[in-house]
Amino acid sequence: MIPGAYSLDVSAALPEIVVASAGCLLLLLEAFLPVARRTFAAISILAAGSYMVLLERIPGSDAFAGSFDGSILARTFGLFLGLAAVLTLLVARPYLERAVAAGLIASDGEFYPLLLWGMVGISLMARGLDLLVIFLGLETFSLCFYILAAYFKSSEASSEAGLKYFLTGAFASSFTLFGIAWIYGKTGSISIARFADAHVGADPLLAAGLVFLLSGFAFKIALAPFHSWAPDVYAGMPTPAVAFLSVAPKGAALVVLFRVFAGVFDGVVPGRFRAALAAIAILSMIVGNLVALAQRDVKRLLAYSGIAHMGYVAIGLAVFGRDALAAVLLYLFAYALTNIGAFAAVAALYRDERESHPVGLLAGMGTRSPLAAGVLALCMISLGGIPATAGFIGKFFVFKAAIEKDLVWLAVVGVLNSLVSLGYYLRVVYVLYMREPVEDELPAPLAPESRLALVLCGLGVLGLGIFPARLWQIVQAASRALPSLRP
Amino acid sequence: MIAVPHLLTWLIFLPAAGAALLLLFPARAVTEVKTAGIVVALATFVLSLGLWSYDPAVAAFQFGERVRWIPALGITYTVGIDGISLLLVLLTTLLTPVALIFSISHVKENVRGFTASFLVLETGMIGTLAALDVALFYVFWEVMLVPMYLIIGIWGGKRRIYAAVKFFLFTMAGSLLMFVAILYMAVQYHRMSGVWSFSLEDFYGMSFPIVSQTLLFFAFALAFMVKVPLFPLHTWLPDAHTEAPTAGSIILAGVLLKLGVYGYLRFALPFFPQAALRFAPWLAGLALVGIVYGSMVAYAQKDMKRLVAYSSVAHLGLVMLGIAALTSTSTSGAVLQSVNHGLSTGALFLLVGVLYERRHTREIEAYGGVAKFVPVTATLFLVATFSSIGLPGLNGFVGEFLILTGTFNAPGAPRWWAIVATSGMILSAVYLLTLVQRVFWTPVRHEENRSLTDIHASEFVVCAALVLAMLAIGLAPNLFLDKIHGSVDTLIAFVRAKSAAPMEILR
Repeated sequence: MIPGAYSLDVSAALPEIVVASAGCLLLLLEAFLPVARRTFAAISILAAGSYMVLLERIPGSDAFAGSFDGSILARTFGLFLGLAAVLTLLVARPYLERAVAAGLIASDGEFYPLLLWGMVGISLMARGLDLLVIFLGLETFSLCFYILAAYFKSSEASSEAGLKYFLTGAFASSFTLFGIAWIYGKTGSISIARFADAHVGADPLLAAGLVFLLSGFAFKIALAPFHSWAPDVYAGMPTPAVAFLSVAPKGAALVVLFRVFAGVFDGVVPGRFRAALAAIAILSMIVGNLVALAQRDVKRLLAYSGIAHMGYVAIGLAVFGRDALAAVLLYLFAYALTNIGAFAAVAALYRDERESHPVGLLAGMGTRSPLAAGVLALCMISLGGIPATAGFIGKFFVFKAAIEKDLVWLAVVGVLNSLVSLGYYLRVVYVLYMREPVEDELPAPLAPESRLALVLCGLGVLGLGIFPARLWQIVQAASRALPSLRP
Repeated sequence: MIAVPHLLTWLIFLPAAGAALLLLFPARAVTEVKTAGIVVALATFVLSLGLWSYDPAVAAFQFGERVRWIPALGITYTVGIDGISLLLVLLTTLLTPVALIFSISHVKENVRGFTASFLVLETGMIGTLAALDVALFYVFWEVMLVPMYLIIGIWGGKRRIYAAVKFFLFTMAGSLLMFVAILYMAVQYHRMSGVWSFSLEDFYGMSFPIVSQTLLFFAFALAFMVKVPLFPLHTWLPDAHTEAPTAGSIILAGVLLKLGVYGYLRFALPFFPQAALRFAPWLAGLALVGIVYGSMVAYAQKDMKRLVAYSSVAHLGLVMLGIAALTSTSTSGAVLQSVNHGLSTGALFLLVGVLYERRHTREIEAYGGVAKFVPVTATLFLVATFSSIGLPGLNGFVGEFLILTGTFNAPGAPRWWAIVATSGMILSAVYLLTLVQRVFWTPVRHEENRSLTDIHASEFVVCAALVLAMLAIGLAPNLFLDKIHGSVDTLIAFVRAKSAAPMEILR
C-alpha cells in the first residue's frame, strides 16, 4: 500500500479515532484517577464536539479502499450524531449523579466511555461503504448499548431491558449477517458500489438477502413488526441512554438502507419492494399510534411514539429517491431535537428511577417546574406535527416527497395517523398543565446542564420549525452524495 | 394618519413578541403581567387602525410584503389584506384587548400563561387573515389551535378537558386533509411550471380536472366547515363554548369561527370554482338546516352560554348561505355579518360572563328579574340581543338584510332559500328575547340575586366599545361596505370566469 494513501485513510477516520480514544482515556481515569463527574462529562462532550469539527475536515473522498465514506452525506450524518451525543451527555451527568446517590449503581464512570464507543459504532455504520464495515459498526454500537440497557445493576427493570435488548438484538444481528452472506453470494462483493455491476436487481436470491438485511435493520429502527423489544427496553434503560438509542442508531440504520437499496437497485426500487416498505411504514404508524394511546408510562409511550415516527420515516424509504433521502435526513434532525428534548424533560421531572414513569406523576408540573414542563409540552406538540415546530417540518418534507412520487394515499395515511397520535401527545400536555399535582414534594431543582439541554432542545425545535431553509439546503446537498440515487 | 412601514408584520408579530416578553416576567408579578398584556393588545389595536387607509378603489391586496422563507420550495412570507380580510383583522385586534380587559378581575390562576396564550392566539389569527402564501397560511391556521386548547383546558369549566380535546381533534381532523391537498397542489404546480411555489396568486392560476378538483375541494372545505361550524360538523362548538372561560368564548365565537368563512372565500372558492359551484346547493342546504336546527336547539337550552353557542350555529349558517348564493350583495353581506356576529356574540358572551362571575352559574333558571339589581348589564344585554336579532339601526340588521335580499335575488338560487332563512331571523328573536325575559324581567325567584352587583368599570368599558362598534356599523354601514364591496366583486368575477373556463391544469 502507498504510504500517502495510508495517512489519508487515518485522517479520514480521525473523528472516530478521537472519540474512541477519549473513551479509553475516560476508562483509565476511572480506574486510576477518579475525578469529578463534571470532568468526565466535559471530556465526553469535548470528544463529541471535536468529532463534529474534525468531520468537517476529513478528505472528501472514500478511504480504506473505498469502504469508508467521506462525502457530505457522512458529514451531515455526523452533525446529527454529534448533536444527539452532546445533548445526551448534557442530560446524563445530573441524571447519573442522582442514580448513584439513590444507590442504583456504585459508580457512573463507565457510562461515558460506553456511550462514546457506541457513538463510534454508529458512525462506522453510517459511513461504511462496505457491508462488513457496516456490520462491524452495528456490532460495536450494539454491544455498548446492551451494557447500557442493563446499566442499573440493582434495578430489575434495567436488567430486563438489558436481557431483552441483548436477545432480540443478537437475533437481529444474525439476520443481518445472514442477509449479508446471501447478498455476497449473489453479487460476489461486499462493497455497495459493486452491487450495481452485478446486474442482479431482480434476482430472487438477492431479494431474499435484502429482506434478511432489512429485517435486521428494522429491528434496530424498531419498525413494526420488529418493534416488540422497544417498550420494555425503553422503560428499563437509563433515560439518557434511551434518548440516544431512540435517535442515533435509527438514523444510521436508515442511511445504510438507503445506501444498500440505491446500490442494489441502481436507484429505482422495484414495485414489490416499495409495497413491502409501504406496508411496514403503515403497520408501524398504526401499531405505534394505537398502542401508544393505551400507555400510562411516559417512557413506554415514547417507545410507541418512536415506532410510529419511524413509520413516517419509512414512508420516505418507500418513496425512495434524492428528495426522499433529504426529507428523511431532515426528519432525523427534527426527531433528534424533539425526542432528546422530551427525554431530557423526563429525566429531569421524575425523581425515583427505581420506579416506573407513570404519566400521572407529571400532574401539576406546568407550574412546579415550568422549564422542563414547557419543553416537554413543546416536544409533544412537535411530535404531534403542529406547525412552527420541527416535527411539522419533518412531516412536511416526507409527505411532500410521497406526493411527488404519486403516493398521495401514503401521505393521507400519514396525516390521519398524526391525528391519532395527537390523542396521546395532548394527554401529556393535559396532565402537565391541567391536573392538580399528586405529590406534595416539589421536583428537584434543575442542574445547569439539564437546563442547558432543555433550552437547546426547545430553541432547536422552534428554530428548525420556523427557519428550516438552511438545514434543508444541507440535507439536499447530502442526498446528492449517493450517486446512484435518482432525483 | 402616519403610515407605518411593514404595518402588517408589526401587527402579526407584536402580540407574539409581547407573549415572549411576558415569559420573562416573574410568575408572581400578576398586576404587571396583566398590564403588559393589555398594553400590547391595545398597542396592536391602535396600530391596526392604520389599516383603515386601505383603498377600496384599488382592487388588489394592499399593505403587501414578501420575504423569501424556504427558497428551495418557493415558500414565502407573503402578507397583504383586501376588503374581505380588512374588517376581520380589525375585529381581531378589537376583541383581543376586550377579552384581556374583561379578564382583569376574573382570571386568578397562572395569569402569565393566560395572557401569553391570548397574545400568541392573536398572532395566529392575524397571520391567518393576512397570509397570502398557502404554506404560511397553514402554519398560522394550525398555530392557533395550541393556545386555544390551553385556554379551554386550563382556565375552562368543569368538563374543560373533554371540550378542549374535542375542539382540538375536530379542527385538526378537518385541516390535516387540507395539508395534503396543499402539498398536492404545490406538487402539481411544480410539474406544470417547473418552479416551486405556494403563493396564492400561482394557486389561483391552476385549474384541475373535475375528479381531483372535487377531492381537493372537499379537503379544503372540510377544514373550513368544521371551523365555521356548518351543521352537522358543529358538535364541538357548544362544548367548547360552554367550557371555555368567557374571554376564550369571546375570541372563539368572535374570530375563530369567522376564519372558516374567510378560508372558504379566500381559498376553497377561488381554487376550485367548478366544484364549489356544483356543491353550492348542498352548502346552502346544510346552512339552512343549521339555521333552523341551531335556532330550535338554542331555544331548548337551559344554559345561557350553550344557548348563545347554538345561536352561533344558526347565525353562521346564514353567513354561509350568503356565500352559497354568491351574489355581490349576499357575499358582501356575509363578510359584514361575520364581523357583526363577532361583535354581538362577543358582547353576549361577555355579559353572560359578567353574570356568571357573580353568581357562578349559567343556568337560566337561577336568574329572573335581575334587571332591577343590574340595570346597566340588562341594558347592554338588550342592546347586544337587538344587534344579534337584526333590529334596524344596529349592525345585525344590515348584514342579515343584505344576505337575505342578495340570496332572494340570486339568479341561480331558488327563492325558498331566502324564505326559509328569514325564519331564522324570527326564531332568533324568539329564543334571544325569551332569554332576556327569563333572565332579566320575570319576577325575582331567588333571594340571592338581590345582592348581585352591577357591571364593573373595566367590564363596562369593553362592552361599551363593542356597543359603539355595533352602532357605527348599524348607522353608517356604507362606511364599512365600501371597503368590502370591491374585493368581493373581484372575487365573484374571478370565480365566475374561472368556472366557465375548461377544467384542466392551466398556466
